[in-house]
Amino acid sequence: MHDVYNFVSGPLVWVAFIVFIAGSLYRVISLIMLVNKKEKFIFDYMSFKYSLRSIIRWSIPFATVNWRKHPVLTVVTFAFHICLIVAPLFILAHSVLIDESWNISWWSFSDTIGDIMTVIVIAGSIFFLIRRVVLPEVKFVTSASDYVILAIVAAPFITGFIAYHQWFAYPNMMIFHIISGEIMLMAIPFTRLRHMLLSPFTRAYMGSEFGGVRHSKDW
Amino acid sequence: MKKRTIFIAILLFFSVFVFMAAYSQEDIKFVDNSAFAKPERAPSLFAHDEHNENAELEECSECHHVYDEDGKKIEDESSEDQMCSDCHAEKASGSKLALMKAFHTNCKGCHVKEKKGPVMCGECHVNNPAAGK
Repeated sequence: MHDVYNFVSGPLVWVAFIVFIAGSLYRVISLIMLVNKKEKFIFDYMSFKYSLRSIIRWSIPFATVNWRKHPVLTVVTFAFHICLIVAPLFILAHSVLIDESWNISWWSFSDTIGDIMTVIVIAGSIFFLIRRVVLPEVKFVTSASDYVILAIVAAPFITGFIAYHQWFAYPNMMIFHIISGEIMLMAIPFTRLRHMLLSPFTRAYMGSEFGGVRHSKDW
Repeated sequence: MKKRTIFIAILLFFSVFVFMAAYSQEDIKFVDNSAFAKPERAPSLFAHDEHNENAELEECSECHHVYDEDGKKIEDESSEDQMCSDCHAEKASGSKLALMKAFHTNCKGCHVKEKKGPVMCGECHVNNPAAGK
């Protein structure tokens, strides 16, 4: 078990972060290069002001008509995405490992708060799963890969939750938890999880077009 | 009446063993975490004598270390007459590690080095020790 643990918590973490960061850079750069090659005119009306205006507006719950039309989705998606990003960064056990590895006293919150945020992510995943199956307009645009990426995202949180509570198969659950987290990181640039990187660009484009070309709001 | 006196005497007699078991140095089952104001995790499972037998530890100072002012370990001195928290406060000061980090470094650090013993959080901080073993 020591060898497995050392491998997944050592070299594999480096591999995961290198793939995640290099892959993300590749994604963003190749997108910009593609636009430059095919639709260069977009750069003419890209506006920093209208981009930022749109990004900020859409980052506030209920600030847009679309958020107000879907109040349940709005609450779930904001809670889900915030917890998804914040929980792994500041879970107490992660902070302890960061301190042990690099002598950095990283911030952390109590185990109880970490536990609640984990439950929110798992509940959000279930909500999105049901939504994909039940709502016709969502089902229509759903492919098998959407279920796979949902599973990739939910897995580190489910295994982390079970491992934290030590319900069963503790050492193995811990290994699964680490591996599933690494898979999630590596999947971000190469699946639709890349919306984490690219959604600000999409928003900026729409904000610029609506603000600068159509002279209207995009919310 | 006499029966009752004998009963109480027997009870007292055995209660001494209970106390001895609970307080004797020989019977440490957990790491004492009373120095933490608000511990987040269950105290670490740690059977002192069993551990040292398994790990074939001869020197107390292997764990009960003493460091000098410059942060160098003093080889011939040991500190088993002290609590870890006598030196290591909850917050780090100077070269002295914070108490939690001192525990983790002392225990896990050695386990990692020796490739023996628990290294994952829940292997030491067992939520419900009775159910696990």
